[in-house]
Amino acid sequence: MIRKTIVIVNKLGMHARPATMIVKAASKYRSEFKIRKDNMEINGKSIMGVMTLAAEYGSSLELIADGVDEEYLIDEIAGLFAAKFDEE
Amino acid sequence: MKKITVKEFFNTKKEDFLLSLVTKTHTLENSISSEYLNRPGLALAGYFERFSADRIQILGETEVSFLQSMKEEELYDRMKELLVFSIPCFIVAKGLSVPEQMEYLANEMNIAILISKMSTDKLYHALRKYLEDYFAPSKTIHGTLVDVFGVGILLTGTSGIGKSECALDLVERSHRLITDDVVKITYRDDVLIGTSTNDYGHFMEIRGVGLVDVEKMFGIQAVRIQKRIDVQIELMPWQDNMDYERIGLSDNYVDILDVQIPIIYLPVSPGKNVSVIVEVVAMNHILKIYGYDAAKTYTMRLQEDIQKKAKIRGALIDDKE
Repeated sequence: MIRKTIVIVNKLGMHARPATMIVKAASKYRSEFKIRKDNMEINGKSIMGVMTLAAEYGSSLELIADGVDEEYLIDEIAGLFAAKFDEE
Repeated sequence: MKKITVKEFFNTKKEDFLLSLVTKTHTLENSISSEYLNRPGLALAGYFERFSADRIQILGETEVSFLQSMKEEELYDRMKELLVFSIPCFIVAKGLSVPEQMEYLANEMNIAILISKMSTDKLYHALRKYLEDYFAPSKTIHGTLVDVFGVGILLTGTSGIGKSECALDLVERSHRLITDDVVKITYRDDVLIGTSTNDYGHFMEIRGVGLVDVEKMFGIQAVRIQKRIDVQIELMPWQDNMDYERIGLSDNYVDILDVQIPIIYLPVSPGKNVSVIVEVVAMNHILKIYGYDAAKTYTMRLQEDIQKKAKIRGALIDDKE
C-alpha cells in the first residue's frame, strides 16, 4: 500500500472536470484507490465519491493505492494534481 | 435524385386531387423531380428568365383567363415557346379548361395537362404537402424504435446485443413499439420521423423463440405507427478502455439526415437492466427540455461549495493576529 499527501494547487479546486479526470485515470489500474480528506475516505474510482469531497484550493488530500500497480496509479494521479488539471 | 412519373402520380393520386386527364395518355411519360410548384404567370406573358420549368405548373383562374384573352397567333407562338421547356405537366385548377391550341400543342410536345376540381389554393397546398413528403430525404437504419414516456428512442447496436429484448421489456412496462430491426427515417418539418418499412404489423424476432406479434400479444396500446426520433441509444458490450460518460455535462450528438440527435453510448453487461436505464434516459431528456439539467445542477452546487470553502480557508490563513 502507498500513501501520498498532495495539496490542491488549482484555483477552482476539485470540481467536476478534475474529478472526471481522476476517476478515468484511476479506473485504468487494477489497484484499489482511495482518497482521504479530513475524516472522509472515498473510493477514488467513483465519480460521485470524488465530487463529494468538494476539495478546495489549498486543501490537502491523502491518496491511498493498494495493489499490483499502485505506484503507477499514484504517479499518474499525483501528476494530474501537479499539472493543475490543465487549469490555473 | 428521387422522381415519380406523371403517370404514376396521376394513377395513384387522381382521386385525392380530383384529377382528370385532358391530353392523350402518351403525354404521361414525363417525370416529376421537384418538390416545388410553379405558377407560370410571367412565362405566359413571355418572360422566360429564371422560369422554373422542372416544376409542376399550376394554372389558376388568373392564368386561364389570361390565356383566353390572348389573340390566336399570339397564344400559338407563346405556347410554342413555353412547351419546348421540359415541363413535367400542367395542372389546371377549379375544373377550368384551357384553349384548344394549348391542348393540341401539349399533345404534340408530350406534356400532360391535368384538370383538378379543387380550388387553386387548396390544390396548391395539398399538392405541395404531398410532394414534400414524397421527396423528403429518408434512409433506413438497423435498430429498434420505441416510444418511452413520449420520447422517441432509437436503440442501435450490433446484432444480438439485445435491442429487441430491451424493446420487449419496455413494452411490458407500458411503453410502445414503433418498429423492430429496421427503422425507416424520414426528414420532415425539421424533425426525424421513424416508421416501419412495411405494414405487416408489429413483429419482432426474439432469439431462441422466433417471431412474435407484439400487437397481438400486448394489445393496441403497445404499438404505434410512427414517432419523432429524439434520442439514440447505442447499446455496446462493455469495453475497459472505452471513455463512457460519467457526469453528463457534455452531450454527444449523431448526425442523421443532417439533423443532430443526442446519442448515448450505453455499456451492456449481463444482469444489467437496460430498459430501466432507457426509461431514465427518456425522463432525463424531458427534464432537459423543461430546463433542468441534473449534471449542471450538481456540478454548480459542488463548485459553489468549493469556492465557499476556499474563501474560508483563505480568511483563516490571512488572520494572523
